[in-house]
Amino acid sequence: MPTFSLNINQKTFTVEVEPDTPLLWVLRDELDLKGTKFGCGMAQCGACTIHLDGSPARACVLPVSAIGDAAVTTIEGLAPEGELHPVQEAWIAEDVPQCGYCQAGQIMSAAALLDKNPRPTATEIEVAMHGNICRCGTYPRIKKAIQGLL
Amino acid sequence: MIQSINRRNFLKISGLGGTGLLLGFSLEAGGGQTPHSVFEPNAFLRIGSDDSILIMAKNPEIGQGVKTALPMLLAEELEVKWEQITIRQADYDRRLGDQFAGGSTAIKTNWENLRKAGATAKAMLIQAAAAHWGISTTACRAEAGRIFNSSNKESLSYGQLAAAAAELEVPQEVNLKARKDFSLIGTPRPNVDTRKIATGEPVFGLDAKPKGMLTATIAKSPVFGGKLKSFDAASALQIPGVEAVVEIEAANNPVLRIAGVAVVAKNTWAAIKGKKALKVEWEPGDGASESTGSLQQTMREKNAAAGTMELRNDGDIEQAFTEADHILEAVYEMPFWYHATMEPMSYIADVQEDRVECWGSTQVPGAVSFYASQITGVPREQVIVHQTRVGGGFGRRLLADYAQEAIYLSHKIKKPVQVLWTREDDLQHDYYRPMGQYRLRGALNDRGEVTAWHIRAATTSRYLFRNDDSPHYQTEVFPDGFPAAFIPNFKMEYTAIATRVSTGAWRAPGHNATCFVDQSFLDELCLAAGKDPIAFRLELLGEGDQEMPYDDHGGPTYSTGRLKNVIRKVGELSDWENDLPAGRFRGVAAHFMFGAYVAEVVEISLLESGAPKVERVFAVVDCGIVVNPLGAKAQIEGGIVDGLSATLYGGIDIENGRTVQSNFHDYPMLRFGESPEIIIALVESDAHPEGLGEISLPPVGAALCNAYFRASGTRVRSLPLLRKGMS
Repeated sequence: MPTFSLNINQKTFTVEVEPDTPLLWVLRDELDLKGTKFGCGMAQCGACTIHLDGSPARACVLPVSAIGDAAVTTIEGLAPEGELHPVQEAWIAEDVPQCGYCQAGQIMSAAALLDKNPRPTATEIEVAMHGNICRCGTYPRIKKAIQGLL
Repeated sequence: MIQSINRRNFLKISGLGGTGLLLGFSLEAGGGQTPHSVFEPNAFLRIGSDDSILIMAKNPEIGQGVKTALPMLLAEELEVKWEQITIRQADYDRRLGDQFAGGSTAIKTNWENLRKAGATAKAMLIQAAAAHWGISTTACRAEAGRIFNSSNKESLSYGQLAAAAAELEVPQEVNLKARKDFSLIGTPRPNVDTRKIATGEPVFGLDAKPKGMLTATIAKSPVFGGKLKSFDAASALQIPGVEAVVEIEAANNPVLRIAGVAVVAKNTWAAIKGKKALKVEWEPGDGASESTGSLQQTMREKNAAAGTMELRNDGDIEQAFTEADHILEAVYEMPFWYHATMEPMSYIADVQEDRVECWGSTQVPGAVSFYASQITGVPREQVIVHQTRVGGGFGRRLLADYAQEAIYLSHKIKKPVQVLWTREDDLQHDYYRPMGQYRLRGALNDRGEVTAWHIRAATTSRYLFRNDDSPHYQTEVFPDGFPAAFIPNFKMEYTAIATRVSTGAWRAPGHNATCFVDQSFLDELCLAAGKDPIAFRLELLGEGDQEMPYDDHGGPTYSTGRLKNVIRKVGELSDWENDLPAGRFRGVAAHFMFGAYVAEVVEISLLESGAPKVERVFAVVDCGIVVNPLGAKAQIEGGIVDGLSATLYGGIDIENGRTVQSNFHDYPMLRFGESPEIIIALVESDAHPEGLGEISLPPVGAALCNAYFRASGTRVRSLPLLRKGMS
């Protein structure tokens, strides 16, 4: 089995996996980074959203062999250890999660948007958050959390 | 108030067998050191000599907020500050009573026992302090985790008193606080797990990982009810990482466990690839002839004649239609709805010779414990069921079929196994909200009053599907539900429709259909009568406050006064009296369910496509005393979004006995940009707390479609609105 050297949360990891293994399962099964969630396996729900060189990407359809040197950031590495990203703080302040399963993905999508574009328009927010489903219906609080950061 | 205590509920921990049950109790406080002594008056609470206060959250946390709200009940009576306590999700533990998430029952059924648990501990701590000071217990006062001597300023912390309190007899009777003295109940408390969720800690069922765990995916018959004919494991076993291919035998009931072929692998990706490579032949059986169309046709035929069950027959329905000034007829249809929990079904079991340990997301940990013992022969005392946080329930995880699979596999291969359903497995082998058809006739007199209502319902009853003793109409239609008893001539008939398509409970079971049907048809009658929809409903409910019989969950009665109150209040909240700006339209609906009352107004505009855009939703809810208003509003917001999603998009189709849809690309869910502004008012009440987690869902579909009729002139009688309801 081939080995891959990955830059995840500013650390280097070497994993021995099949080249077509989606990054999601490398994170979860090989590295025990369980914060990135399995939702649909076809980039439809956003539960597995991570950052690839700062841009949001769906880890469930991203083969490990395609990552190369790109910097991967997961929910565990969004803020330095013991600290919170402003988006995480806003999520806590607005008491966003219900079941919470989709929220790591929601936070990663919102953080990717706001890190690059601190003053997005309502449409830009809608576009950025469109790929993340929340079955519990926390969208109103997600909206408040994002708006509170503008 | 004096409450008598059932001593059996307050067994001291030392009296229990089965050391495994204590696993969840190691205290984190005090730097991980076990405190020197511990006061544990009951299984809900543990106070250490280091002042650590641990409250066990007994019920499954599926997003409904009970891990926060239930400990509030205990903490209120214990007299501790919220910041002083640690909350821990309990394992399955019979001493805790029912541990169950369903029917919106957690708060209302634990309202007394958890407050008593806190009050009992407080009484014992007071007794210990009084003995220490040599004073009367009446001279002692509890506050913020300390007992104060009222005659001077001395005080002792609960930790200082823990050892002495642990020596005392558990009192038979305790006083509970009056509502006016509550300091915690009724205050907004954020979800206690939010930080863990926001930082990606492994709190969900799918995140658990016992040492040596393998992962299994399971191939199942694409046709509902199909049987396994043969399989060839060779190609699956060639996938690197695949360790075994194992047949799973069906249980004697499809709600327990269906047939499958499991691919067990060292990692998830190998298990997913292995299942794809597997060659399986299925015997489709008689389910193969079923389709959405064939089920609709069967329902049409059944509803053309009298139903097999007559559930209500008030007055003289035929005479009333003969004398009517105006008659309306309509047929409403509801599709199968998929549960779509964001965390797909998964479960972990580690079956050893004399011990079973389980982890995962379930609404029924007790059932998992029972099945684990049944499948393995290990006594229940040696079955440990860890409750993880649950990534959505909505009724799906009331069934433990997927947990049975994990137990079955681990028992067979003698290694810890995680069963994982892919999204496609989860969507195509769900236990859907039953499909139904509702044929209605209504009559008005010349004053625009409803004189007759005749409903014939035919649905794929979930009780028929699971071959249950429960009457098949239950959780399908509600013979005592409004508008029954307010229309002098009223007839309700029901026919259960057999199908191989698996059905189960889906948030607000039955109400999620009947409220849509009743409140939509009521709107049709209201329009025909030329009346205002709010005034029309209030007029129908009559004068004063009547206590109406209600022989179902949430009964035995309901109050017309409280129902009218939420309807009136939603009118005020939404400024119903005043006209909307051009291009805006609104509809209203109201409902009683699970002991609580709700009225909602949905305000929409129309998109260029002609589809509705939901702009604002107003909701007024009366669920009695509200324990955690922040969590309560989350449930109401969530139910509204969930209901809008299902009304606009939800619909499973069946062709040749199998599910047509497979993932979120063809089973769409409401997205961020489609979510409306939601304005909520909770009715201030002294009444016993009632079920809240489901009630906001049923009316929103009808209120939306009532608004949509005013906007478009199209009456939506078949859901989902955005697929086939626009004709």
